[in-house]
Amino acid sequence: DDHKLSHRELEEKYGTDIIMGLSSTRAAELLARDGPNSLTPPKQTPEIVKFLKQMVGGFSILLWVGAFLCWIAYGIQYSSDKSASLNNVYLGCVLGLVVILTGIFAYYQEAKSTNIMSSFNKMIPQQALVIRDSEKKTIPSEQLVVGDIVEVKGGDQIPADIRVLSSQGCRVDNSSLTGESEPQPRSSEFTHENPLETKNICFYSTTCLEASTSPVGTVTGMVINTGDRTIIGHIASLASGVGNEKTPIAIEIEHFVHIVAGVAVSIGILFFIIAVSLKYKVLDSIIFLIGIIVANVPEGLLATVTVTLSLTAKRMAKKNCLVKNLEAVETLGSTSIICSDKTGTLTQNRMTVAHLWFDNQIFVADTSEDHSNQVFDQSSRTWASLSKIITLCNRAEFKPGQENVPIMKKAVIGDASETALLKFSEVILGDVMEIRKRNRKVAEIPFNSTNKFQLSIHETDDPHGKRFLMVMKGAPERILEKCSTIMINGEEHPLDKSTAKTFHTAYMELGGLGERVLGFCHLYLPADEFPETYSFDIDAMNFPTSNLCFVGLLSMIDPPRSTVPDAVTKCRSAGIKVIMVTGDHPITAKAIAKSVGIISANSETVEDIAHRLNIAVEQVNKRDAKAAVVTGMELKDMSSEQLDEILANYQEIVFARTSPQQKLIIVEGCQRQDAVVAVTGDGVNDSPALKKADIGIAMGIAGSDAAKNAADMVLLDDNFASIVTGVEEGRLIFDNLKKTIAYTLTKNIAELCPFLIYIIVGLPLPIGTITILFIDLGTDIIPSIALAYEKAESDIMNRKPRHKNKDRLVNQPLAVYSYLHIGLMQALGAFLVYFTVYAQEGFLPRTLINLRVEWEKDYVNDLEDSYGQEWTRYQREYLEWTGYTAFFVGILVQQIADLIIRKTRRNSIFQQGLFRNKVIWVGITSQILIGLILSYGLGSVTALSFTTLRAQYWFVAVPHAILIWVYDEVRKLFIRLYPGSWWDKNMYY
Amino acid sequence: MAALQEKKTCGQRMEEFQRYCWNPDTGQMLGRTLSRWVWISLYYVAFYVVMTGLFALCLYVLMQTVDPYTPDYQDQLRSPGVTLRPDVYGEKGLEIVYNVSDNRTWADLTQTLHAFLAGYSPAAQEDSINCTSEQYFFQESFRAPNHTKFSCKFTADMLQNCSGLADPNFGFEEGKPCFIIKMNRIVKFLPSNGSAPRVDCAFLDQPRELGQPLQVEYYPPNGTFSLHYFPYYGKKAQPHYSNPLVAAKLLNIPRNAEVAIVCKVMAEHVTFNNPHDPYEGKVEFKLKIEK
Repeated sequence: DDHKLSHRELEEKYGTDIIMGLSSTRAAELLARDGPNSLTPPKQTPEIVKFLKQMVGGFSILLWVGAFLCWIAYGIQYSSDKSASLNNVYLGCVLGLVVILTGIFAYYQEAKSTNIMSSFNKMIPQQALVIRDSEKKTIPSEQLVVGDIVEVKGGDQIPADIRVLSSQGCRVDNSSLTGESEPQPRSSEFTHENPLETKNICFYSTTCLEASTSPVGTVTGMVINTGDRTIIGHIASLASGVGNEKTPIAIEIEHFVHIVAGVAVSIGILFFIIAVSLKYKVLDSIIFLIGIIVANVPEGLLATVTVTLSLTAKRMAKKNCLVKNLEAVETLGSTSIICSDKTGTLTQNRMTVAHLWFDNQIFVADTSEDHSNQVFDQSSRTWASLSKIITLCNRAEFKPGQENVPIMKKAVIGDASETALLKFSEVILGDVMEIRKRNRKVAEIPFNSTNKFQLSIHETDDPHGKRFLMVMKGAPERILEKCSTIMINGEEHPLDKSTAKTFHTAYMELGGLGERVLGFCHLYLPADEFPETYSFDIDAMNFPTSNLCFVGLLSMIDPPRSTVPDAVTKCRSAGIKVIMVTGDHPITAKAIAKSVGIISANSETVEDIAHRLNIAVEQVNKRDAKAAVVTGMELKDMSSEQLDEILANYQEIVFARTSPQQKLIIVEGCQRQDAVVAVTGDGVNDSPALKKADIGIAMGIAGSDAAKNAADMVLLDDNFASIVTGVEEGRLIFDNLKKTIAYTLTKNIAELCPFLIYIIVGLPLPIGTITILFIDLGTDIIPSIALAYEKAESDIMNRKPRHKNKDRLVNQPLAVYSYLHIGLMQALGAFLVYFTVYAQEGFLPRTLINLRVEWEKDYVNDLEDSYGQEWTRYQREYLEWTGYTAFFVGILVQQIADLIIRKTRRNSIFQQGLFRNKVIWVGITSQILIGLILSYGLGSVTALSFTTLRAQYWFVAVPHAILIWVYDEVRKLFIRLYPGSWWDKNMYY
Repeated sequence: MAALQEKKTCGQRMEEFQRYCWNPDTGQMLGRTLSRWVWISLYYVAFYVVMTGLFALCLYVLMQTVDPYTPDYQDQLRSPGVTLRPDVYGEKGLEIVYNVSDNRTWADLTQTLHAFLAGYSPAAQEDSINCTSEQYFFQESFRAPNHTKFSCKFTADMLQNCSGLADPNFGFEEGKPCFIIKMNRIVKFLPSNGSAPRVDCAFLDQPRELGQPLQVEYYPPNGTFSLHYFPYYGKKAQPHYSNPLVAAKLLNIPRNAEVAIVCKVMAEHVTFNNPHDPYEGKVEFKLKIEK
């Protein structure tokens, strides 16, 4: 209620003195009581919790189970035999280490992407000018307390919620609070019951605007709320109340982990039972179980996914999308509705001259970002007069010291429309300041809301006669009232009914475009009545202000960014609905929506149809309208069912005059449509909506910190078009993740089969657990990341966004094709290498069957092979390791084929180009190199159980690799030939 | 993301699952209609038949390329392993413990030896020929019946005192036990350049209190494997081949003390210093004779 109190009551309430300010001791007490004047940052998850989450999330649990089983197995062995080998302990440690390392890696990746943000958050500490101990001091605004008397100059941020005590021409920009960018005057009078509406309160984090001339816009006020207790603080805490939901990709990955874990656990348990019923010892069965788990879990995959996402995040950052949360990269790709702000996102956020009307004609001005191409006819003498008025009747000025800055980027002191006029005339006429100097201003009436015009009187540089020129601009109807003539082609004509009518048509037309229209008129004061020495008196108005000559109209708009219409078209072809949500006037909103294509050229709203058919709005069949413009007032009275109906039935929707709070309602409405919603916002009060959205996008330039905090992504250039590139990247990464996962899952079967065959057929173990880890975390890592660099197979922006409950990352065909087709072929190929090695060393395949028990006996040192040769245990073990290496090489060679086939899901490899993605070849090279190092470099380290393999065994699996490639090409060919067929349904993943 | 977070009750889930198992509206079970299941099964049957066929073909080709008489590589078999009979394993390798006065403790050991030597009876060696030459018995062609090569006879009686014929207790009773040492077969392996490989047994680390080295009687004399048993031409070429043996009768084993003994095969091409393989070219065992 502070806005209703008088100064005296306020002094009493806060124990302060308006002249002297608080005493420093009292201020210190209050600071200790209330805490610093800053918003509490949103609660962060403690780092240790984040870290532990990485340790137990995903497959980690499964691997921990494996590790513990290892240790239990050792415990059982140890209790019966004190000299049991430590192999199981080591394996358990290795598994634990794998979990910890991948956990640390994922944590590090997350932390790195969060760090980008925190560097972004660092601000220069704000200073505040405060009166304390009757002295003016500059202190950091964090130290402000309730009762402090502060002075705020134009251009500064309001440091806390303050009650205005005195103000000089102060206007504030409350856009971060209300979304309304129109400057609002502030004075010490109490004008409204509602503290949000009254003029004598300024809010924390809004800006006090700079004015060009005195009064410069200073305000003195008393701090009434600080920190979290400010209005902004309340809204910010509201935002943190909105829970963090899981991102679509997180759900997909969880789904995938469930599938793989399900397969691992069920096969594990099934074979545990089989092993036990085959009279294996329980201990051995446990060891089989461990092997099956390790073979089934793609240990490196989650790390790969993180790397892939962060690579895309990096790529997006280059395109001005800064992603805070890695998973948001993909969310953007699955977006089906974008709720976009207008100002600054779709538009350039600056008033620009769009149209001119003179000589009974409307001319179009260039509104592109650099204004370079002004094509309208500048030969008319009317234009000469009009340009003079535009130049002279304007108080805006460039800030000094910007000689080398392009005109459109120069900073200007003055309000938005004057700035627009200044820049417009500077571009067309050249040095405006010079023209103004030549036409010295002798008197001026500034614009105010009562008379709605601005007038100034100038000396002229006209050599023919020393007359004064009076120029005036203002609301067109007001200007017209004051005119009796109109200039056409440089000639003054009397203003009759017909000319007045053409004026009105033009005015309505420009107004209908949502543009702000200004009228311009002038009058040469006769030299005899107003000699050079005449003294003009503003207050006495000793000069005529009627019977002027009307010169022209000029309309301004905040024009759309030139890249936006294209981006909106792209969104449309990508099946993304773009909804505009703005605080602006419906007409302006609709005009911009039309010009950027949010409302397409041929679609009409109910109102348009009514207007065209000349019937009442109620009579129009709502089904005929494709577009809708809904105002905040209408929205207020709507039930959520009605909102749902609007969101579902109209393709093109504009919400105008909405309050930021209503944005949240709109977002929730969209989410009820089962859509993945992206929301852009910049104000503090957008933060709940940003938080609520599936992906909140904050503006990097105009955005407030609270908005950036709540968002998942920050647009560094505030440009809507950047969102679209983000969508493209997000979709691409989804496709490529599918490929990566398919690639990674395939070899699981080749790793799993050895264990199954080992249990059932009793071959010497074809591949060791450690060897599997070397594939999963060694040779396969770089190739699976390389798939992230794959180009899109077709125009991904021409298809509908994926349905989050239907188009899964890992679907049935993907799993089945990877496991049961390619995986199986791979397993056979790898077994062939294994059998070849054993056969050439003396153990023919027939001999190997059921050899396992004898083979593994430590005390059989003369085991006979197929040739009658006798083998010691160590000789067999070494051969077993050679077998591991052979199987490893078999998988490796076929994974190269797998990598190549995974480049595409539908197109032939030749359509995609074998060499377009260079990183794939880096991946293949790395794969072979790591294989060579393991086999030939570390072949002597017995703990790794790799041995030096004869060179020819590297080629045994090559025919199988080629077979895999051919099979997949055939699959793709049939998919392309018979879309929608049985084959397509079962084989396309 | 309200829609995704929908919590389904257990009943709903069960119902959904039931519907997945059998959907009466579309006639689908487990997501496919019966005919679809037949089609997909046929595809998989065909696919797996073809894959199995290809794999079988690959193995067939592999078998065709492999030489039936000689393995292509003998990377691991550079030097033969050596084994010991009787072979009783303790926690760390061979450990033979028995009590002289209690014949139950060594009955198993002698039984093992008898069983092992059964393969060396004259009847079992009937198909082999007598060899007298002390040279390598090279055979380029298959002159033996059934397209095979000749194998040399090795009968148990060549082990004389350790043959189990004269002394069925193999000296265990008197505390001077016989151990039989066998060298592993390796195809076309030539152990030395002319002199016959010889077994040499000694205490692994000479016990100080004994003062004197291990005394051994070797059978056949000198503990040699005659060269005419080499080279071995593989199971297919020499189906009747038996490894030559050497028996070592240990004469001065101290009572009630565990001693470690190593028997090495001394030949130019037999190595016994592989740190990883304790049975390559030698055999170590612990012996404790109680009284």
